[in-house]
Amino acid sequence: MPSRRFSRPRAAAVVAAAALFLAACSSGGGTSGEATGEPVSGGTLTYASGDAEPSCLDPHVGGNYPQALIATQYLESLVSLDDDGEVIPWLATEWTESNDGLTWEFSLRDDVTFTDGTPFDAEAVAANVAHVQDPATASSTGYLALAKIKDVVAVDDHTVRLELSAPDSALLESLSQVWVAMESPKALERSQEDNCAAPVGTGPFVVDQWERQDSVTLVRNDDYSSPPADAEGAGLPYLDSIVWRFIPDSASRYAALQSGEAHVIDNAQPDTIRSAESDDSIEELDAPRPGAANRIELNSGKAPFDDERVREAFIRAVNVDDGIQSLFFGTAERSYSPLSSVEPLGLSLPDLFTVDTDAAADLLDEAGWDERDAEGYRVKDGKRLTLDFPVSTNQSIPAEQSLFEQIQADAKTAGFEVNLHPLDLSSWYGALAQNDYNLVSAPYTKVGPDVLRILYHSASIEPAPSGYFANLAQVDDAELDELLIQASSTSDAGERADLYERAQRIILEGHYILPLYDQQNHFLRSSTVHGLRAMPTVSTPTFAGAWLAP
Amino acid sequence: MAGALTLPVPTTGARRSPAPGNRRWLLLRAGGVVFVLWAAATITFFALRLIPGDPAEAILGGPGSQAGPEALEQVRREYGLDQPLLVQYLTYLGRLATGDLGQSYSLHKPVATAIGEQFGATLALALCSLVLAWALACALAAWSVRGGRVAWAIGSGLELVAAAVPHFWLATVLILLFSLTLGILPPVSVPGPLGIVLPALTMAIPLAGFLGQVMRESLLTAMESPFVTTARARGESEVRIFWRHTLRHAAIPAVGLSGWAFGSLISGAVVVESVFARQGLGRSLLSAVQLRDVTLVTGIVLVVALAYTVMTLVTDLADRAIDPRGRAVTE
Repeated sequence: MPSRRFSRPRAAAVVAAAALFLAACSSGGGTSGEATGEPVSGGTLTYASGDAEPSCLDPHVGGNYPQALIATQYLESLVSLDDDGEVIPWLATEWTESNDGLTWEFSLRDDVTFTDGTPFDAEAVAANVAHVQDPATASSTGYLALAKIKDVVAVDDHTVRLELSAPDSALLESLSQVWVAMESPKALERSQEDNCAAPVGTGPFVVDQWERQDSVTLVRNDDYSSPPADAEGAGLPYLDSIVWRFIPDSASRYAALQSGEAHVIDNAQPDTIRSAESDDSIEELDAPRPGAANRIELNSGKAPFDDERVREAFIRAVNVDDGIQSLFFGTAERSYSPLSSVEPLGLSLPDLFTVDTDAAADLLDEAGWDERDAEGYRVKDGKRLTLDFPVSTNQSIPAEQSLFEQIQADAKTAGFEVNLHPLDLSSWYGALAQNDYNLVSAPYTKVGPDVLRILYHSASIEPAPSGYFANLAQVDDAELDELLIQASSTSDAGERADLYERAQRIILEGHYILPLYDQQNHFLRSSTVHGLRAMPTVSTPTFAGAWLAP
Repeated sequence: MAGALTLPVPTTGARRSPAPGNRRWLLLRAGGVVFVLWAAATITFFALRLIPGDPAEAILGGPGSQAGPEALEQVRREYGLDQPLLVQYLTYLGRLATGDLGQSYSLHKPVATAIGEQFGATLALALCSLVLAWALACALAAWSVRGGRVAWAIGSGLELVAAAVPHFWLATVLILLFSLTLGILPPVSVPGPLGIVLPALTMAIPLAGFLGQVMRESLLTAMESPFVTTARARGESEVRIFWRHTLRHAAIPAVGLSGWAFGSLISGAVVVESVFARQGLGRSLLSAVQLRDVTLVTGIVLVVALAYTVMTLVTDLADRAIDPRGRAVTE
């Protein structure tokens, strides 16, 4: 029986809050010209992150994107993905699934050692699954990713068998995520405080020192031998060390890049990316995150959006394209799909989102919202057509918040009163738990289309306040539920694709969501940095093959 | 606090042991400190817990991670969040009374350790800013006193502008000027003395404007005082008169404000430490508030309140050192 609990990992985007645009009046940096040719060993690279500093460097604990970004440098997973989204070997060399889908057997590499000297073997895999599943670890993302694993059996030193409680077509995709990466079992036995400060993995770098609220220093793993199957070359990392800094202010972060204090920055804002285009010493890396596209969810669980006509009217009334054009300076492309553009199984239906204010007006009339009050808002039975829209200022960048304001203005013309409520994270969770919303935008990162099950299966309409519920559109459709469960249990690729297409059609045609764009994930690097690439799994950059031109 | 009365003074004369009246004053003052700390802890605790929101979500990874119900239950139990608010408050207060600041759940470590790691950086920044602000204020006053009517007007105008600029804007301008255009100072904090220059300057400029304005008023009165005329008659130079006599007079009200200024610098650190990516309590406070880490927020507020009361005491002492009249009263 498929699990009724919502399972599987999820991690949503965090975007730094502040953004004051600083005019780029100097190219800074002092380097010019493309240094190409042979990679050079040595040097210290400074990475400046705009995300919140993780409270724990072990991504098993909690499990968010800032943790994934840094942990990619020192932890590795059983499998990875290539650029086409195909699962490829990493710490596991091959795997087989039983016919009933309940037993998976993985062969492990026998020549890998954790950086504390502990060998990587079947017992290590068992210890990691146990660590993630232990309630004391307080894992959220990893815990959901491994929810269907019932038992782990070490068949021999380098063969491990996973027993599942239900078939899981997303198991490999889940295992590719850094939130369930492999850590040294010996290191996991330490206190949580110690393990959070310096987790031990098999990756190209090792956590050396963590100066809180300043930086984490990572040094090269001189015995590194386990790159994923798609990595170029199998050699040692080139960089001696990485200084991983936290610079929350967007303008300061960009200034640090320009002045050469930082070599790579993340959370580059649209205006910054635009101004960097004219700077020869800065290059961009655009790595949209997998999982769901950024979208506005229409809460169909309560009035007025329990009426599909009102949902369609809202979607037809607001012009999102123009806002994205003007606010994102061409750095974000409009999406018409529930899934990220990096998901091969995503379905786009642009025709459903053509702006048509006349049709919107007719739909509202039809739904009984046919009068207007003194301020021009539509009214039905003496009640104004009001929509509450809590906005998480931690998760929406300033450009996105401005976009919401434009949507608010468009909706007003059509007769909707949209109340935007900018909230900090805890208050935002609180508003959702109390069902105090009609519109909401919540990012969601996960590898693979199974994210649809988490977001739109009716089991994810969890009664508040027991926890976060992911089905914020509160879609409750028996046919959709059936499709999503089938898709998550089938191992036939063609059938799986077909089931996910039908599921997405129901979501889009039901007017439950207004897709905006991929989860933005822009990095800027100095042109002296070479060999940087984003992992095809959760789009975090890896410095395994990066080098600094002298 | 007995230091207030045993401060070595340059003048001769017998110092006396505290009189019974003074002892009572001391007790009252100590009681006042305890009251301030209790009030700070209580207000912070309730202000944070009464805002709607769920700290358990924040504990489980914060932005971007979505926790399952089992994990949330576990966290609520572990941190006592399932208890009634009043019980949580009394438990917390009881622990505070024994000197235990508690465990920070957002940092996975004791609050005292977390504060210990960050306090030095903020203290260094605040003290550097305070010294720099005084230097700037005195320099501007000295220049404008000598420069006649026009310089006076310019100086006064500059102070007004300086006192009004917000930290955030000033920081951006300074980065633009010193880091991106001139390329002489790093735009973000770096190890060593160079890294503290821009953050300290950002905090010092508005403060200097404020101190300067306060000084200017009394500077004007002092310059017209008989002792200045006497000094002139003795043939002392204007520069010497300024540094030896008038500035001393003018500084008294401003020194009295330094305690307040120190408090305002700590709050300014919230912005400045974030912009320049510096370590420090201001940044800890910001993220702790966002994550509803009540124990950490309260811990920081308590430490800042303590630093503030100590600083007020120090300025009281400084006041006496500058102004012999104050000293006469205690002797």
